[in-house]
Amino acid sequence: MIRLSVTARIALLSIALALVSNLVLVAFVWRVVRDDAIDELRRDTIEQSDALVAVYRTGGLPALGRTIREARTPGDESRIVAVIAPDGRLIEAVGPGLDGFARWPRLGFHIRALGSPWSDREAGYAVRQIDSYRLVSGRMLDDWQEEQRGIERALAAAMLLSLALGIGGGLVVTRYVGRRLNRVADVIEGVAAGDLSRRVGNAESGDAFDRLAIRLNAMLDKTERLMSELRIVTDGLAHDLRSPLARLRAKAEAAVLQADPAQREAAMGGLLIETDLVMRMLSTMIEITRAESVSRDRLAPVDPATLIEEIADLYAPVVEDAGMRFEAIVMHGLPKIVLHRELMTQAIANLIDNALRHAGQGGEIVLRLEGEPTSARFQVEDRGPGIAEADRAEALRRFGRLDQARSLPGAGLGMALVEAVARLHDGRVELQDNAPGLIAAIVVPISR
Amino acid sequence: MPPVTRKILIVEDDSSTAAYLAKGLAEAGYAVESCADGRDGMFLASEGIFDLIIADRMLPGLNGLAMLGAIRAAGVSTPTLVLSALGTVDDRIDGLNAGADDYLVKPFSFAELTARIDAIFRRVDRNGAEGQPTRLAVGDLEIDLLARSVTRQGKTIALGAREFNLLEYLARHAGQVVTRTMMLEKIWNYHFDPGSNVVDVHIGRLRRKLEEGFSAPILHTVRGAGYRLSVEP
Repeated sequence: MIRLSVTARIALLSIALALVSNLVLVAFVWRVVRDDAIDELRRDTIEQSDALVAVYRTGGLPALGRTIREARTPGDESRIVAVIAPDGRLIEAVGPGLDGFARWPRLGFHIRALGSPWSDREAGYAVRQIDSYRLVSGRMLDDWQEEQRGIERALAAAMLLSLALGIGGGLVVTRYVGRRLNRVADVIEGVAAGDLSRRVGNAESGDAFDRLAIRLNAMLDKTERLMSELRIVTDGLAHDLRSPLARLRAKAEAAVLQADPAQREAAMGGLLIETDLVMRMLSTMIEITRAESVSRDRLAPVDPATLIEEIADLYAPVVEDAGMRFEAIVMHGLPKIVLHRELMTQAIANLIDNALRHAGQGGEIVLRLEGEPTSARFQVEDRGPGIAEADRAEALRRFGRLDQARSLPGAGLGMALVEAVARLHDGRVELQDNAPGLIAAIVVPISR
Repeated sequence: MPPVTRKILIVEDDSSTAAYLAKGLAEAGYAVESCADGRDGMFLASEGIFDLIIADRMLPGLNGLAMLGAIRAAGVSTPTLVLSALGTVDDRIDGLNAGADDYLVKPFSFAELTARIDAIFRRVDRNGAEGQPTRLAVGDLEIDLLARSVTRQGKTIALGAREFNLLEYLARHAGQVVTRTMMLEKIWNYHFDPGSNVVDVHIGRLRRKLEEGFSAPILHTVRGAGYRLSVEP
């Protein structure tokens, strides 16, 4: 509906523009070629006619007839004089082709063809009323005057032509604009109907329509990614919640059936642990979805070394209690980075949790802060089995997705949070070989 | 038990939560009054007769934080604990910035709630008393806050900076339950749940230093709630 009216407006606008520009051109040409020849003819004719009227007033019809006959000069075929009686009869006639006047001509000044055999030539003449007669006097147009008339006619024709061209051009422009807009509109309609994979094709010329298409495609890419993440998170949640909920239910059942008060108490304690696990998964999921839309004012300049040292302070005893060595290698002197302190800490904590889970007994976990010219790396290194190089891209891609074989719940969500936090900071997650082991890093740009 | 019965106002639109809170707090010895929407809550709170307000964040009429803002603007400084189903880090920080004394995410354990209420009242009482103490004593444990040194039965116990902060916090709330999230918030300033047993590990280390070589335990685990520093078991 709106699309139609917009294209109609574009068509009308282009027609109006074509008309206006052509009108300006015509007026210009008209002014340039315009001569006063026609005006002069009109003046002469009226003067001559005035003189003849004066002759009639003084001498009547006979004097007029005489004057007309005397005025006839041999060789001058251009002069026209005639007196027409009320019955249409020609009383006096000088000039060619006056047969056409055997009628009752209208009063006033005219320029028109007189009829055969001079139909192709025009004459300028004045028609006056003298008593009951009509006096016709004038002159055939000379060549220049003829030409000027021709130009006038051509300009009139040009006007008509420009109208036609304007309409034609308007339709072409409308069709072109409409076609290109429709390509975009079709994609949007497709997306609205649920097909998020549709994109506006071949944008190579870089005009405004292509820019629109590129922006739209970029927006759809982001939307599609967010949608798939949302699906991953909800799928993951459903999957990950199932097992703790099943355990919760089993333990609740066992507690209900437990007769011995001490064992019943213990079973109740187990219920609380499972409940807390489910709650933590829920809040992680909320953090992930929120991290996609955290407003910039939540971020503040943070010294990365302090951030890492605080995490090391919190986690060193945890890692050591798990029977592993822990080391924090912190590069000092980096500029402050605009960060969400808590979310970034949580993401790094998740990486440490993962390392704890996979590095196994006797291993070592290194928490490292490294500065590169334009970015900072928050890096967790373990000595576990690592991820084969061929599988790393896949692992990154699947971070959000759930590893069906995973024994411990929650890791999928944890890594999805790491991804979301990296993206919140315009950064990325990198996986590398620690030979042996895995290096997982969150890389964020330093100056933004 | 508090010497004078403390009055708590509950502003909560979910009737089952409100009833659960009212029953639990009444059993804990508090006088409880409830109302179900923000506007009523604001009028009741403006009387200034309550010792604590427990307000849900999402309320009909006037939301919890707006209500809190109005109460504070009216010059009523009754301590307020905000309850909310909004549990992200930013939500918690928003709540605290809006003038709440504490923030608790639903669903919560009752032990967590009472621990936080105790902590708020302890802080209010301490503010009433003149001066800040320079020494804390719990049984045979003595903490010198200026020298940052700890002795038990006259023997010096060497503690790291973070361990000292942890002990100081526990000692300031001696006899009360302190939960893991309270410690994470106050000692490490983290408002998220790190998941693994991080607090337990730190407490474990502190406990070894405080109790190894001594006969009586002093740092107790309160199951399903948190920890308590006390000579009584």
